[in-house]
Amino acid sequence: MKRRLPWPVVPPPFPAPFVQRLHALLGQPVSFAGAPDPLQRARRAVLSQSGTFVGHRPYVRGDDLRRIDWAAYARTGALYCKQLEQEERRTAALLLDLSPSLLAGSVPRRLYLLRAAAILGGLALVQLDGLTVLAPGAGEAAVRTFTSANALPALLAHLQELPVVTATPAESIGLLLSRGLPGRVHWLSDFAVPKEIERPLHALRRRGAAVTGWLPELASDREVPTSGYVRVADPETGAELVVPIDASFAAELRHQLAVLAAQQDRLFAQAGAPLVRWRVPALDDVSTAAYLPLVARGSR
Amino acid sequence: MNLLAPSNLWWLLLVPLLWWLSLPSRPRTQTWTPHLAQWQLALAALRRRPPRLSRWRFLLLAVAAAAAVLALARPVQPGQPGPRRLVVLLDGSASMAAVDANGRSAWQRAAEQLAGALPTVPAHVEVTLLRAGGPLLRRHGASARSLQDLGRPEGALGVDLAALARSVAAPDTAVWTLTDGQGQQQLPDVGALSWCPAAGPNATVLAVRLEDRWPLPTLSLAVDAVVHASGPTNAPLRVHGAVVAEGLASFAASPGTVQTSTFELTRRDAGGRLDVAIELAGDVFAADDTWSVVLPPLPAPRIGVLVDGDGGLFANAAAQALAQEVGGEVVPVAPGREVGLLLVDGGRAQVAPGTVRALTFGSALQGGQEPAPWRLPVVGDWDRVGPLTAGLDLSELRIQQAWRDVLPPGEAFLWADENGRREPLAVVVATGDVASVHFAFRLQDSNLPLLAAFPQLLRRAFVRSYGAGAAPRVLTPAPGAREQDLLQPARAADRPLPAFGTEDRDLSPWVLVVGLCALALRAFVR
Repeated sequence: MKRRLPWPVVPPPFPAPFVQRLHALLGQPVSFAGAPDPLQRARRAVLSQSGTFVGHRPYVRGDDLRRIDWAAYARTGALYCKQLEQEERRTAALLLDLSPSLLAGSVPRRLYLLRAAAILGGLALVQLDGLTVLAPGAGEAAVRTFTSANALPALLAHLQELPVVTATPAESIGLLLSRGLPGRVHWLSDFAVPKEIERPLHALRRRGAAVTGWLPELASDREVPTSGYVRVADPETGAELVVPIDASFAAELRHQLAVLAAQQDRLFAQAGAPLVRWRVPALDDVSTAAYLPLVARGSR
Repeated sequence: MNLLAPSNLWWLLLVPLLWWLSLPSRPRTQTWTPHLAQWQLALAALRRRPPRLSRWRFLLLAVAAAAAVLALARPVQPGQPGPRRLVVLLDGSASMAAVDANGRSAWQRAAEQLAGALPTVPAHVEVTLLRAGGPLLRRHGASARSLQDLGRPEGALGVDLAALARSVAAPDTAVWTLTDGQGQQQLPDVGALSWCPAAGPNATVLAVRLEDRWPLPTLSLAVDAVVHASGPTNAPLRVHGAVVAEGLASFAASPGTVQTSTFELTRRDAGGRLDVAIELAGDVFAADDTWSVVLPPLPAPRIGVLVDGDGGLFANAAAQALAQEVGGEVVPVAPGREVGLLLVDGGRAQVAPGTVRALTFGSALQGGQEPAPWRLPVVGDWDRVGPLTAGLDLSELRIQQAWRDVLPPGEAFLWADENGRREPLAVVVATGDVASVHFAFRLQDSNLPLLAAFPQLLRRAFVRSYGAGAAPRVLTPAPGAREQDLLQPARAADRPLPAFGTEDRDLSPWVLVVGLCALALRAFVR
């Protein structure tokens, strides 16, 4: 019987410094992108670019010219902007990949995926009406909904307790569709097998879902060792490979990784969905600058 | 297939070790990756394979190792059964020198048969040749096949060839006996047999008793002879050679009866070879017809005397007695004049012990110490078995005075008893055929000249001074027992050599070839 390598241990994803930094990040003046849920009313009044007219406010420099109420200008001679209020509930969904392949990396990619989920989920809790966390294969914890900013600790606890399970992209999308597309979908994964995500992405596009792919990018996704004699293993399948590495092999492996990245980008582009590659910081780097790109990209 | 060294098969236990050594080394660096497919694609793009255990390569290596071990176990294909050894019993007794009607001896015919047959014996057959009769010789292997140094027929057979052949014969050992049948009750009934007869009449000088009176010229011979013939015959017995007049006797005894003939002869002064020969018409075995001896030349029995002081009376009397005993004469001693024996009494003599035939009495010798007087030594003992004093009675010998330190190192034959110790009173010093006899006392200081044994002692001292050169040397060995009557040898029909077993075929080279082929093929397998 072949001896299998033990899975790497994932460090605690949310240490106290990170939680403190998380609160700071959630206070950034950004607008997190959500999506309306036509089946539920908004839990609170939120001004929007569309919706029900609730009044005027004086024009200030920088306002969208399309929102100027020209009839009021004709009556009063002053520029006013129309204020509209969104009535539909705006929510977001986090679709998490919990497969063992995320355990790879000198610091496992799963740690950064959970931190990214915490930041994106926190933004959704702070700025939107609700958040649905989808964890395919996690059993009873597969679907969990959070509705207020006060639920942030519960969200972190929920994320920390998610198990390592294997679920195909098709199964993940099936779970998502069964919930009726709860808002904007943030799909966090390593997308290691592009072929498996092609059909689910097209299915979401046909359903009109707004999907954003999040890929915590490790250094090993781009750089490879140039020499050595290593045994590499896929934690998901257990398959192993013993490889002597030289310069030519390193160059070829870099090429193959670049091809993989290009395939991932092309598939998301064909599905009309952005794929955000987040170059992860060091394990103990919890600075704002390290995680601000996540917040910035989430607001687009 | 048989294995001659099956214990070497234990080396096959190394095959698992080879398997373990054939495994690719385990990397020290182990890492997880979600991009295993990309690693595999990179390998495929470079047409590489990960290190792995090639089952075909290991299988071929295991085959090569197994072949090497099997070769170590010495596999052989058994040959045809049959003898693997050949023991040749060759009769080398004197009778094998008897000749047939063509003048060829049985020994020659046996040797020719061996020379013709041994090269046809397969090379793997181990050949041992035993010569019986005369000196017992054993030749083995190539030495036996080349009949190296078998000597000539002589002596008695001394063995029962039939019993010997039966004891040697075995399933893997063939016996081949070559004999003339002489002196055997029956010939071997096992193994191959080559009978080489040379039957016929034979006369033999069985024994000769020689009484030599050296240094006197006379001698007597008593000759025992026998004739084996089919009927009464007359064979002259002749003595010729180093004698003044030849002796001749007629042998007219009946066949098989030993007759003794005596001869009184006078030898020549120069000595030389003396032959006793019996002549028989049609004798097939001439080697036992003659008995030969070499007689030593007669000495020059000229005796010189050197005397110191007033002892000349005894010394001259001793010289005269000796001259009378050996038939010589007393001559005056002068420089450059040769004498047969120098007799010295007292004084100091320029005589080197053992290099001059001399008889000294109380004389200090060349290079010796100054003698010290030795008052009244008591004669204790003398050599009872030596040639000088055996049978002589010296118990009445009385000595008034002897001299210490006058005797050179040598073989003592007369001792004085001094405080329980034996001190030599006389020694003989010999070098080759020259010897000198030395006494520690003068004749005038003892009663030795008055003893009855004195003349005999003088004659023996004279003979002893000539050493072995005074003895006749017999050239002819005694004829072997039962080697004289050549008329009734044991008879049997010749039997050929059996078919020998074939050699085991060594399969080791072929097994090694298989192993090498496996290694060669392994070079082409990845």
